[in-house]
Amino acid sequence: MAGSDQINLCESKRVVPLNTWILMSNFKLAYNLLRRPDGTFNRHLAEFLDRKVPANVNPVDGVFSFDIVIDRSINLLSRIYRPAAKDSEGRVPLSTSFAQLKKPVSTSDVVVPVIIFFHGGSFAHSSANSAIYDILCRRLVGLCNAVVVSVNYRRAPENPYPSAYDDGWTALEWVNSRPWLQSKDSKVHIFLAGDSSGGNIVHQVALRAVKSGIKVLGNILLNPMFGGKTRTESEKRLDSRYFVTIQDRDWYWKAFLPEGEDRDHPACNPFGPKGACLEGIKFPKSLVVVAGLDLIQDWQLAYADGLKRAGHEVKLLYLEKATIGFYLLPNNDHFHTVMDEIHNFVTPIPDCE
Amino acid sequence: MGPHDSSISAAAGSTSSSSSSSACSSSTKPPQPPDQMDHLLAGAGYKVRSNDLHQVAERLHRLETVMVKSNPLEISDLVNDAVHYNPADLASWVDSLLTELNTNPPVPVPTDLSDPHPNMNNMMYATNHAPHLQQVVAQPFEEDVSIQLVHVLMTCAEAVQRGDLSLAGLLIDDLQALLGRVNSGCGIGKVGSFFVDALSRRIVNSPENAAVHSDLSAYENEILYHHYYEACPYLKFAHFTANQAILEAFEGQDCVHVIDFNLMQGLQWPALIQALALRPGGPPLLRLTGIGPPSPDGRDSLREIGLKLAELARSVNVRFAFRGVAASRLDDVKPWMLQVSPKEAIAVNSIMQLHRLLGPNSSRGPPIDLVLDWIRDLNPRILMVVEQESNHNQPEFLDRFTEALYYYSTMFDSLDVCTAQPEKALAELYIQREICNVVCCEGLVRVERHEPLVRWRERLINAGFAPLHLGSNAFKQARMLLTLFSAEGYSVEENEGCLTLGWHSRPLIAASAWQAIPKPSPTMGPIIHP
Repeated sequence: MAGSDQINLCESKRVVPLNTWILMSNFKLAYNLLRRPDGTFNRHLAEFLDRKVPANVNPVDGVFSFDIVIDRSINLLSRIYRPAAKDSEGRVPLSTSFAQLKKPVSTSDVVVPVIIFFHGGSFAHSSANSAIYDILCRRLVGLCNAVVVSVNYRRAPENPYPSAYDDGWTALEWVNSRPWLQSKDSKVHIFLAGDSSGGNIVHQVALRAVKSGIKVLGNILLNPMFGGKTRTESEKRLDSRYFVTIQDRDWYWKAFLPEGEDRDHPACNPFGPKGACLEGIKFPKSLVVVAGLDLIQDWQLAYADGLKRAGHEVKLLYLEKATIGFYLLPNNDHFHTVMDEIHNFVTPIPDCE
Repeated sequence: MGPHDSSISAAAGSTSSSSSSSACSSSTKPPQPPDQMDHLLAGAGYKVRSNDLHQVAERLHRLETVMVKSNPLEISDLVNDAVHYNPADLASWVDSLLTELNTNPPVPVPTDLSDPHPNMNNMMYATNHAPHLQQVVAQPFEEDVSIQLVHVLMTCAEAVQRGDLSLAGLLIDDLQALLGRVNSGCGIGKVGSFFVDALSRRIVNSPENAAVHSDLSAYENEILYHHYYEACPYLKFAHFTANQAILEAFEGQDCVHVIDFNLMQGLQWPALIQALALRPGGPPLLRLTGIGPPSPDGRDSLREIGLKLAELARSVNVRFAFRGVAASRLDDVKPWMLQVSPKEAIAVNSIMQLHRLLGPNSSRGPPIDLVLDWIRDLNPRILMVVEQESNHNQPEFLDRFTEALYYYSTMFDSLDVCTAQPEKALAELYIQREICNVVCCEGLVRVERHEPLVRWRERLINAGFAPLHLGSNAFKQARMLLTLFSAEGYSVEENEGCLTLGWHSRPLIAASAWQAIPKPSPTMGPIIHP
């Protein structure tokens, strides 16, 4: 092998801070161990290795959380994150009483957004109580002055398509019908957000919301997971270079999509040959964040483009030197850029003529 | 780590994170108290001591290379049967996997003395699977070792940058062992051995000490240069392209004067002399001033070359005059030494010389500015600049090291196709001296301060030069030159009026032409040459 090829293999280490590299490499290698070549998944080991944190009704940095079962029949859990209300002296109390968990979120005329969050993991990994996602959701609370509902959707390969979407839809209906999540105008102000497979779920749930008349104010897609049958230029160019391989992407799609379907299935490729037409519907505005070193970026860019061509409002944030997972640790400029964008996206703009 | 607009060359420039406990090319992080955990990884559920980040990264990399090489079925079976413990202690978990997959033991970690849990405790397996274990011994394939080699090289360079010379020394031993297992005749084994050598010299010697590598005599240096010239096309491309541009700049001129910043053996000039001889309308009077280091052994090597060229010129009826200017450094040259006359058209020819002026400032200011200033005063019709297309002058050692590794490994790859000996071996030695200078030296002694074309453009424009574009005929002729070499991998590219020569789409040499914008005089406006 040519000398310069060997050196290219060390590239990922040069573009992220060392602790990020360790985190992403650890995931990459551990996940390798969990995916079996025959398409089965070592769920026990996966749950063992996943670093989880419990919910905490005692506020930490002004945010408290608690878990709720939103559908008993399938044990669908969600973790709710709320800003801790300050007491009469303006201080955050040390603990939250049970009565306060479902206290109305909005106590004034200020609208309180409710962000329904779908964690990533390529449909197979992670949970709402995974440490990395718990941290992210807590951050979103303070950033957007919002309530965050993180959905513990069912995962592949045990629960392939359409389980994750069904669970997302269940969560949306549930959130929309909670009186305590309403703002003073008696409406729940809902945003959908997700990274990787979670981003993909956001799109599908929003689509279903449109058909059912539930209003979603905006979609936030961080490095959303899309794909297709053909191999795009970015997939070929970036294969194996920044923690992700085409091979692993294929495995996850195979685990998620129905038996016998290929990656042009609309769940994977919403603007592909089997995709639905999105023109003329009231689809929410979208914030699509694409990492320049993510090998599936061509699909993500095609998604943003597809939305635009169908006449929908899209803000595309392309971060040239970002790798996947850049938003998991607050140690890089891309992280802060994206957080600012999310804040601006969710914060209601005062009406002006 | 902000989004940054570095050049397209393969290695990234320096990156710095805004607010973290560790950045990928940090050299100035103060040593943490021994038990301090990286707080970001802790938030994600992993306990890794800040001081151990590098070692943990090292082990992860090793684990990856082993997994890449092993059969996925066997790995997955093996891992499924094993019992894992305490995944939050990432270092031990990775070690236990490595042990299970039967690889080399990790590099001894000097700081990790207080770990109460030896590696083996993280994994146990049922005894009846022991025979199964034997089957999964990962063979150290060539590829696997090569990847390790590159990674340990980078880790060693990082240690050097942090001043952790004891770890660096240990890693050198590791590197020597790896070199012993890899094919040292080509690829990463070849270029890797030069970098290992350079690193070990740097660890042993003080970088400001000029005796970092044994000095060759001028004669020996010339031999290496000559073989480098023969073995690969880089110098030929430089000479060829420069001559084209100079010829064009001299059109219609009867008195021309070429100032060569590094005469060496004058290999560039026979072709120009012959081209001038064949010029329609007849040759001009050609003066050549060759600058070179003084000869220590009493020979006047400059004059000797001059005499040979004069003889050639005579044989093709070109009126020719030669003058040698001995100077160890270009900024020691004073314009009056060049004795230019106002009637002549001047060409200044700098092949891989300007970067040597980017070192520490002298008492008179930055050497490069001084020299560019007097070049401009000469009012040349053309300043020809050829430089290595890479950034080996970055302030951080690790960045230079990494960029050099990319650059020289590509150059060595291109040399692989040359079969002529001893040209190839001596060419490699020539390149090795450059590598040594980039890696081992600092301060005044580090003269190989290559910078890429984008930076030279800025510099030259700021110094009062305007670009002269090299056109498609120069491009075409450069490509034809390359067909003389059997190797398919070389590529000539046009880059905003400049030409580059590279290997497999990585430019390695960039050639550009400039003319001086005369300084405005108080009584007249600036005069631009047509």
